[in-house]
Amino acid sequence: MDVISMSSDPMRTLLFLTVALPGAGFLVLALSWLVGVELPEKVVARVTGLIYTAAALCVAGGAWLMRAVHLPSLHADYGDWFRVGEYAFKFELYFDGVSLPLLGLTTVLTGLVAAFSRTYMHREPGFRRFFLLLHLFGFGATLGFAAGSFDLLVGGWELVGLSSVLLISYFFERQGPVTNALRVFATYRSADVGLLVGIFSLHHFRHSAALPALDLHTLDPQQATIVGLLLLLAAMSKAAQIPFSGWLPRAMEGPTPSSAIFYGAISVHLGAYLLLRARPLLESSPVALGAVALVGLATALHGVLVGRVCPDAKTSLAYAAVTQLGLIFFEIAMGWTTLALLHILGHSTIRTLQFLRAPSMLHEYHRIHAASGGLVDGGGLSLEAALPFALRRRLYWFAVDRAHLDRLLDSAAVRPLSRLSAWLGRVEQKLAGGEKLAVRPVPVGATLSAPMPEEVDVLHD
Amino acid sequence: MKTAAHHLSHGLEHTIEHLAHLLPAQGPIGVFIHHNTLHAFQHLPFDEAVQSAARLYGNEPYMTEAAYRCDFERARITVGDLDVALGWEADEPIIPFLLDRRALRRAVLLASPALDDAAEISWWLAEGGVSSQRRQLFEACRCLFRVSAGTASGVPARQPPTPPAVRALVDPLMIRLCGAFLDQGVAYWPMPDRQNGFLAAVRTLFATTRAVEPLPGLAAEMARQHRHQWTALQTVEEMLRRLDISVAAQEDFLRDELLALGGWAGMFYRLQEEPYLAPHERLPCSLMEYLAVRLTLVACAPRVEAVEAPPPDAAAAELVMASALFAAAEALGYQVSDLEALSRENRERFQREVLAFHPIERRRVWHVAYEYHHERDVLRPIAERLQKRGRRRVEGTPKAQVFFCIDEREESIRRHLEELDPRIETLGAAGFFGVAMDYAGIDDPHGVSLCPVVVKPQHAIREQPVAEHADLHERRRALRRLWSQFAQGALKSSRTLWLGWISTAILGLFSMFPLLIRILAPRRYGQLMARLNDLFLPEPRTEVTLMRNDEHGHHLNEGLVLGFTVAEKVDRVASVLAPAGLTTRFSRLVVVLGHGSTSLNNPHESAHDCGACGGRRGGPNARLFAAMANRPEVRVALRDRGILIPDDTWFVGGYHDTSSDEIDLYDLDTMPREHDGELAELRMTLDRARAANAHERARRFESADKAHNPKQGLEHVEARAEHLAEPRPEYGHCTNAVCIVGRRELTRGLFLDRRYFLVSYDPTTDTQGQYLTRLMSAVGPVCGGISLEYYFSFVDNQRYGCGTKLPHNITGLVGVMDGHSSDLRTGLPLQMVEIHEPVRILFVVETSPEQLAATINSIPFVEELSRNRWVRFAAVDPENSQISVLRPWGFELYQPEPGETPRAATSFSWYAGHRAHLPVAEIEMAGNR
Repeated sequence: MDVISMSSDPMRTLLFLTVALPGAGFLVLALSWLVGVELPEKVVARVTGLIYTAAALCVAGGAWLMRAVHLPSLHADYGDWFRVGEYAFKFELYFDGVSLPLLGLTTVLTGLVAAFSRTYMHREPGFRRFFLLLHLFGFGATLGFAAGSFDLLVGGWELVGLSSVLLISYFFERQGPVTNALRVFATYRSADVGLLVGIFSLHHFRHSAALPALDLHTLDPQQATIVGLLLLLAAMSKAAQIPFSGWLPRAMEGPTPSSAIFYGAISVHLGAYLLLRARPLLESSPVALGAVALVGLATALHGVLVGRVCPDAKTSLAYAAVTQLGLIFFEIAMGWTTLALLHILGHSTIRTLQFLRAPSMLHEYHRIHAASGGLVDGGGLSLEAALPFALRRRLYWFAVDRAHLDRLLDSAAVRPLSRLSAWLGRVEQKLAGGEKLAVRPVPVGATLSAPMPEEVDVLHD
Repeated sequence: MKTAAHHLSHGLEHTIEHLAHLLPAQGPIGVFIHHNTLHAFQHLPFDEAVQSAARLYGNEPYMTEAAYRCDFERARITVGDLDVALGWEADEPIIPFLLDRRALRRAVLLASPALDDAAEISWWLAEGGVSSQRRQLFEACRCLFRVSAGTASGVPARQPPTPPAVRALVDPLMIRLCGAFLDQGVAYWPMPDRQNGFLAAVRTLFATTRAVEPLPGLAAEMARQHRHQWTALQTVEEMLRRLDISVAAQEDFLRDELLALGGWAGMFYRLQEEPYLAPHERLPCSLMEYLAVRLTLVACAPRVEAVEAPPPDAAAAELVMASALFAAAEALGYQVSDLEALSRENRERFQREVLAFHPIERRRVWHVAYEYHHERDVLRPIAERLQKRGRRRVEGTPKAQVFFCIDEREESIRRHLEELDPRIETLGAAGFFGVAMDYAGIDDPHGVSLCPVVVKPQHAIREQPVAEHADLHERRRALRRLWSQFAQGALKSSRTLWLGWISTAILGLFSMFPLLIRILAPRRYGQLMARLNDLFLPEPRTEVTLMRNDEHGHHLNEGLVLGFTVAEKVDRVASVLAPAGLTTRFSRLVVVLGHGSTSLNNPHESAHDCGACGGRRGGPNARLFAAMANRPEVRVALRDRGILIPDDTWFVGGYHDTSSDEIDLYDLDTMPREHDGELAELRMTLDRARAANAHERARRFESADKAHNPKQGLEHVEARAEHLAEPRPEYGHCTNAVCIVGRRELTRGLFLDRRYFLVSYDPTTDTQGQYLTRLMSAVGPVCGGISLEYYFSFVDNQRYGCGTKLPHNITGLVGVMDGHSSDLRTGLPLQMVEIHEPVRILFVVETSPEQLAATINSIPFVEELSRNRWVRFAAVDPENSQISVLRPWGFELYQPEPGETPRAATSFSWYAGHRAHLPVAEIEMAGNR
């Protein structure tokens, strides 16, 4: 784990490009949109393809160069972003056996999903918006995985969250996607408090949040427990662990490819990555370690139980993902980090494929049904059959209602909060004495035969 | 007392039965049957029906006014069309000697539309830079007319009586429960007790388990119902009482509750009526039980204070009315002084007339003009051909005859085939080729009906391996079973705990290979899979069990008789050949092609299959038809009916995939070898024709390169069929608009742009009109259903259709939802209808108007469609070549306007470089006439 100076320039440049390329893609699309240039679908798709092919090659090239000079890890400093007094926010990236495979996975899968979306999203009015957000996600994810400090990791983490929420509400002309996106956003934001406070405490205890956090053993167990639990909170929301797992099926409102890359592949594994990085810190706190293991195991059981009763393709996949994410948490807690890494890689890949194939579930079931001669065995080993009558039904409802978690969150957090905000609203109105703002409803439900009313000012001329 | 109660509940049952018809009638999505989306309104005239449905469902009745105006701009509708449309309606003076209704309506339609949003109008008055003259006119309109709210409205909004807050609690719960109940095998753990019905299952779930309640008091309520053992009907009555719904309000309330999740409720009703539609597990579905559960949930939901609907904004309504009057006055060129000069009486009449011509009414007139224009475009080339050029036909005996389905998607391949070899004749017959059967292929677990949905098959046909291939078949079956176990395991294992751990952590990365190939090289992947299939699962040669030569020994198989007797075979063969007029001139080779469509990742795949085969693939029907027609004893019997099939004629059955444009021919090994040469030549022409067809289809796809040649066109459509990401494997019936029932000579060599169903019918041999009746009773409902389903899914894709495919999520193998929790989406997706032109189908029938009227009247379903103008009719009289169009007041002789049908050397030269709909053209085919 040494270090900076001996890194040669091409290596640094290549690795820098893995993060910079998706960012550049976002900028190109965003700026062209801003100045009113409507890039044709083909151009957008081609640029995207080039960017992710190049980024994937950069990862491979960088890793190969590092291997060639027997460099197990590389801490590359690209200067300061800003300075405030003593503190400097460094733009530093860190590459090692954990971040490099994940960067490779991210660039390859994002590129594949982009190739898929080129056809899938064809003729969609939001085609450019989708690709813009995909690039924002790509930038956020690579930044998150390559970050050389927790400070920078937060940036990537938040960009992934933001693009995730905006893609869930992709079909914003309907109510459902917007409501569900808001719920996911709220879940992310409230748990992100853990990440922010955790990093503040790191700075407070140790005056640094740089990665790799090997010297984190130096924290005393109490401090480690505080930071560890805070980071766990953030990781739990991102990785849809209990009690937050209810947001994952709600996130299926967006187009299928975005569900694949976010909730099958990269975004949900970011939480596990955070824990992998915080692993040295966790080691000095048995409490935090135990909490990770417990959350992971409970989530795995939860996911497998709920998944058993899901009748729809995407929710069923969502809970299958939840199960494996729980197991990954457990592996991290047990210290099986290589296995956890392998698990992340394998799980992302298979889930991406499964999500992309979700619309052909009908086709596949019928094929299997036919091939088996009409004798498909519905379930496998059914432990629940051993339960007594009432308990079995109770467990079934428990599973169908997704362990009542959303109901719990609603009564414990959502309703008190909205009551509070309603009260604050009334107070404000009383204090300000103002009138209610009249908001003109937005026309909804654009259809083929109903082009949006741009025509209304025909009268004006 | 008891009888009174009994009477009441009988009334309730009746009401619900009546309301059930308002629900979408779509069954489980694996078998998609096109039908009139507004079947419940079919007894009403079209315009009345779409407008009442618009009021009831809140859906759009026609395209938007903006869309029609856009079509006006591009001359898809002309002033002449509007004049005709207005001319069909009663005229009336409004201001004596100065203004009548037609003039007013014409002026309003041709001028720019009135602003109809109060906020918009206020903004326009304040900020729009309105000239003082116009402002004065607007003010005059506001002051001179007594505008009061409540007179100018198009479709009034419906107020749901159950508050939205209650809906927000009840709907997700209903979706969760319905999804679990109807599931056909996705969930590992099926809903307990569901074999006892929905109500019993839900009751047990909550009543007997002390479950955590989703709604306060639900468990107690369910326990109470359980204790009393109420039936579904009793529960509904009880809940209506508890919710304080008066008898008078019951119907409206129940309708709202049913329509709240109409897709799910509709699925319950469909499966209640036709349980065999369930793809895997038959469930005891009952709409009454659905309603009982739903009302119990509504009753248990916490009472929410009803939010008072804001009182209608009188000032806003006044502004909107003034705006309409202003637009009309301006359109007529009136000044303030003109308006002031009007007498009070005239002023009132003017106001009444303007406001009566509200947006919906305007759209109705626009639509009439839109369809009238289409009608002229269809009839003119036919009239021209009849008068100037005469019919085109193959002289002498054709080299080959090829039967296709009547499907409008087959029009182009028929044209290409005839273009490539003018000695070939093509014919069209409903794609089940008269063979209604319950069919199971060697790979099918059980039989399915291959015939129009209105027909119940009486005969079972089974495909069997030929004796020498029995071993091969056994091996194949065993391997397939092994594969199914593996595939099932793979599907399930990644979702379980222990196996999932292994399969994702260790094997997961291997899925990178299929992922890469399937996304980056879909066509290659398809080819690879096909090759692997050939290698490991070679298909045995098979035969079908169509022989039942002993009249008495019926093999009974699930109430079906196995195979057809000679007489039955003769009937079936004659039923296709005789109406088509193919009784003598048989060529040496007659090919019969069924059709279907294959695509991946497409829940609506079945909607692209053959409608005449009940939303399935029609290959077996074609194969069977050919096999029957080849039997000597059948041919002998056919002679008695005047169908003279020469001994050297051979029938070949086949299958055309409308998505990948592949053509398979069946049972070639049984064909006499002396046909080999002809077949090889025909096969080559077919291959060229399907490539040309693929190329022509590709012109409609924006992502296909315009510079493609036919080979690239074929590759393009093949990739579409294999692509995981392709939401438009084909455009399906998207371009349907016309159905021609008549001889091919009427249309041969016309470029019809894949928009015409073509039914072969020879009026000269049908003196009694019996063939026509038989054809129309099959073709009328099928084509009418397709046309109307596309109409509604297009004009309101979000509500009549199922919106965009992109967020669709298959649930329970019965339907699709948007995202994780929504109503079941019915109708057609955006990607299937986007290039459609919503016209009611125009049947052009080659017969005398009198015969056509008699035929229509003899088929009740078609008579209803015709009387209520859900479809349009025209007759081409074979005697005098005159065309008459059926109007509401009877047949009207069609007068062609001047002009000439454009000519083109080949289809290719006509369509090359164009994406949009193309007008009809005469293709100069060598050797024709």
